[in-house]
Amino acid sequence: MTIPSTGLQVPAESPNEGDSAGTTPPARWSVLRNLLRDWAALACLGYVGLIVLMAVFAPLIVKVSGWGPYEFDQSAIDPNMGGIPLGSWGGISGEHWLGVEPGSGRDIFARIVYGARSSLLIALSATLLTSLLGVVFGLLAGYFGGRTDMVISRVMEFLMAFPALIFMIAVLSALPADDRAYLLVLVISVFGWPYLARIVRGQTMSLKQREFVEAAVASGASRRTVVFTEILPNLRSTILVMVTLAVPGYIGTEAGLSFLGVGVVPPTPSWGQMIASSVSWYAVVPTYFLVPGTFLALLVLSFMVLGDRIRAAVDPGGRS
Amino acid sequence: MSQLLKANGLSVSFGAAKVVDEISFGVPRGGTLGIVGESGSGKSMTSLAIMGLLPKGGKREGSLDFDGTELTALSEPQMRAVRGDRIAMVFQDPLSSLNPYYTVGTQIAEAYRSHRSGVSRKAAKQAAIEAMERVHIREAGRRVDDYPHQFSGGMRQRVMIAMALSTDPELIIADEPTTALDVTVQAQILELLAEVQRDTGAALILITHDLAVVSEVADELIVMRHGKVVETGSAEQIFSDPQHSYTQALLDAVPRIDDSIGELRTTGGKA
Amino acid sequence: MTRFVVNRVAGMLLVLFLVCLFTYMVFFLLSPDPAVQICGKNCTPERIDQIRENLGLTDPFLTQFWNFLSGLFAGRTYGGGIECAAPCLGYSFQTSQLVTDMIVQRLPVTAVVAIGAAVLWLLMGVIGGLLSAVQEGKFADKFIAGLTLGGMSVPNYVLALALQYVFVVWLQVLPFSQAVPFADDPVQWFLNFILPWSVLAIGYAASYTRLTRANVIDTLNENFVRTAKAKGLRPDLVWRRHALRPALTPIVTIAGMDFAGLLGGALITETVFGINGVGKLAADSITKNDQPVIMGVTLLAAFFVVVGNMVVDLLYSVIDPRVKAGAPA
Repeated sequence: MTIPSTGLQVPAESPNEGDSAGTTPPARWSVLRNLLRDWAALACLGYVGLIVLMAVFAPLIVKVSGWGPYEFDQSAIDPNMGGIPLGSWGGISGEHWLGVEPGSGRDIFARIVYGARSSLLIALSATLLTSLLGVVFGLLAGYFGGRTDMVISRVMEFLMAFPALIFMIAVLSALPADDRAYLLVLVISVFGWPYLARIVRGQTMSLKQREFVEAAVASGASRRTVVFTEILPNLRSTILVMVTLAVPGYIGTEAGLSFLGVGVVPPTPSWGQMIASSVSWYAVVPTYFLVPGTFLALLVLSFMVLGDRIRAAVDPGGRS
Repeated sequence: MSQLLKANGLSVSFGAAKVVDEISFGVPRGGTLGIVGESGSGKSMTSLAIMGLLPKGGKREGSLDFDGTELTALSEPQMRAVRGDRIAMVFQDPLSSLNPYYTVGTQIAEAYRSHRSGVSRKAAKQAAIEAMERVHIREAGRRVDDYPHQFSGGMRQRVMIAMALSTDPELIIADEPTTALDVTVQAQILELLAEVQRDTGAALILITHDLAVVSEVADELIVMRHGKVVETGSAEQIFSDPQHSYTQALLDAVPRIDDSIGELRTTGGKA
Repeated sequence: MTRFVVNRVAGMLLVLFLVCLFTYMVFFLLSPDPAVQICGKNCTPERIDQIRENLGLTDPFLTQFWNFLSGLFAGRTYGGGIECAAPCLGYSFQTSQLVTDMIVQRLPVTAVVAIGAAVLWLLMGVIGGLLSAVQEGKFADKFIAGLTLGGMSVPNYVLALALQYVFVVWLQVLPFSQAVPFADDPVQWFLNFILPWSVLAIGYAASYTRLTRANVIDTLNENFVRTAKAKGLRPDLVWRRHALRPALTPIVTIAGMDFAGLLGGALITETVFGINGVGKLAADSITKNDQPVIMGVTLLAAFFVVVGNMVVDLLYSVIDPRVKAGAPA
């Protein structure tokens, strides 16, 4: 089945033909320059940077804030009220910067800081693995065509027809909980790579027809040289955009799976899991879900904005 | 020959950029005006300006006298009544210019029905079939229910021409009607346009970058460059004695005549 | 056309078979001892042996898989004398219920959640998208773009908690949800579903808004729209026939696929709102490790997705004349 091309049709004679030079993909520094001129993108970049620093320096930060992610502070909760944090706003104070967990009294700030570790580690590893699989299989299918293409395409179709979320949950629930983080990455990647591979495949197929690739083949370049020096560099911007847009998806997936109890195993903190445990408290201690929820939503938002801006910068036509 | 359409100081601008710069020309009743220029010369914008279909942000100035009516003074509904009825247009790429979701019959009938009040669906379809027959589409009665993708490039352009002539317009504007087609089909389409013009007495504006194309059909010619008319005159004059160096360059660049420029000139002279 | 349908159905059956095999293998190979898993936390050795025997867990993998498959089509009888009519998805020892029954009982509620959400997100998405396309670059467009970004970034469980807190606890404009049948109290019933519908719909609505906007803007730039204008067609006809139909057709088909895949989203929404549908069943079974149920829901979800894709493909060949049935992609 064919999806009708909804790509922008550039009329033969467009009014702004004078600046047609702008339609060639700009160099990477100008992408960066465009990003830096844009306050929203800058804010997102800043937020992502902050979370990354938080994740990297988690042990140090926790030392400064005074409470570790696994320490119970019984003095911060009210045992007579079922463990509600003492003080307003979920127990936010100089002692506990973002309040404490109801019931246990664990420091939310420390758990957020450590939770960033799991979120980012899993999302970024999954992105890395997905990109690797997607680029390799997409290139193979697109460049070699024929039977290789057929086999890879069938596998991709199969995986994309799968109810991925439910299956991930099913598999993860059946698997032993010991190495959940690795399993999460693996399972997410297995179902994620076809989406990148499909696009890489299509672009490789059209690049293969282009003069410069044919010239390289004609001049006797080996397949490996052609793939790595002629085709791959031309896929750079596509891959960059796809990868940036994949990160927020995987952050959400990890959090969702942890929320459903098949993700990161307690007591290791994760934002999704924190939100899951806040479900029974939301009416009494709203900060308990608001804090991790806000951190999570902002992180997803930031990556999405950055992905959009990068796409707009490398592809001014605005095609998705 | 009296003039059907007279453009006087016509300009089109997008913001500060003037893509058509105070050009003037006339189209004789039943005659053919060729507008020649490279892409970016402003020739397509000229045609869209006549139709009142400039892209967003485009501004039109000057005068367009169509059979005594000042087109630039018409309101949008008034202009709509002219469009497709008295002035019809044939575009460059027939595939993308036809809507893939509707049969060609529906699309031809649509033009017909929107300008003839109280026409039944059936009568409009009959008109579509007749129009298709006039452009020599075989088995028009059957093909009227086919979709654009089921036609070849040349046949699609015939459909576009059928659509244009279905309302018996006084002026047909053909914007690069042969550019997207195979070389062998190009001649047929040009012939068809000439035939339609003979039969209906409509005037024709033929817009092209290809001097060889206009040489066959145009009476009058204007050569455009950077939004300005650089040369104007009868086709004969221009082919035998180009005044402007740009026209000379265009003549020299005609790729398909590989014998000699001299031969091209004589061909042009006969048209 | 017939050949196309036959091919698609054959492909669909193959995918479903592979999903079954894959799922079964995962549960067979990865669970250290399915009997222990199925038995749950409070288990005795006798009970484990009984489960093993009743489920035929002592048989080799292929025999077990065959029994499962034939149970799907012909029904089967478990060792303990439990009759399971086709389509038999298994038997949950933890609850002593047939998986098929458990799912069928809860399917109507899930259908209500899914259909309401789909209606809502299509309405919001198409209207929002049209509005931003018409107002391209203006304030409304930018405002909607901001909303869609937000809608796409907030995970639906966070949104669920936030909306519930704001509308139920804080503003008290919506009542706490109580399970009431539609016939008893239609108003309460409807109010119950407002939040679940919204939560499930908002993420989709956001992406549909973007899609509609992009499609409409692209279509308006198509040459055939210019042709339609050049014919002197009335603007409303230009919009209706030449802009909306090509722009919205792909959206309708994508909606079909998304609807078929809704069970995943229902899982979270139903859990948060305590709606006793198939999604909550799956979520509860994950917590209890009730594997036959998890597997049953997985297969059901796969069935929906695969059938949904096929229906959409067939539909597409009807509404888009270029996709002639049987033509290769």
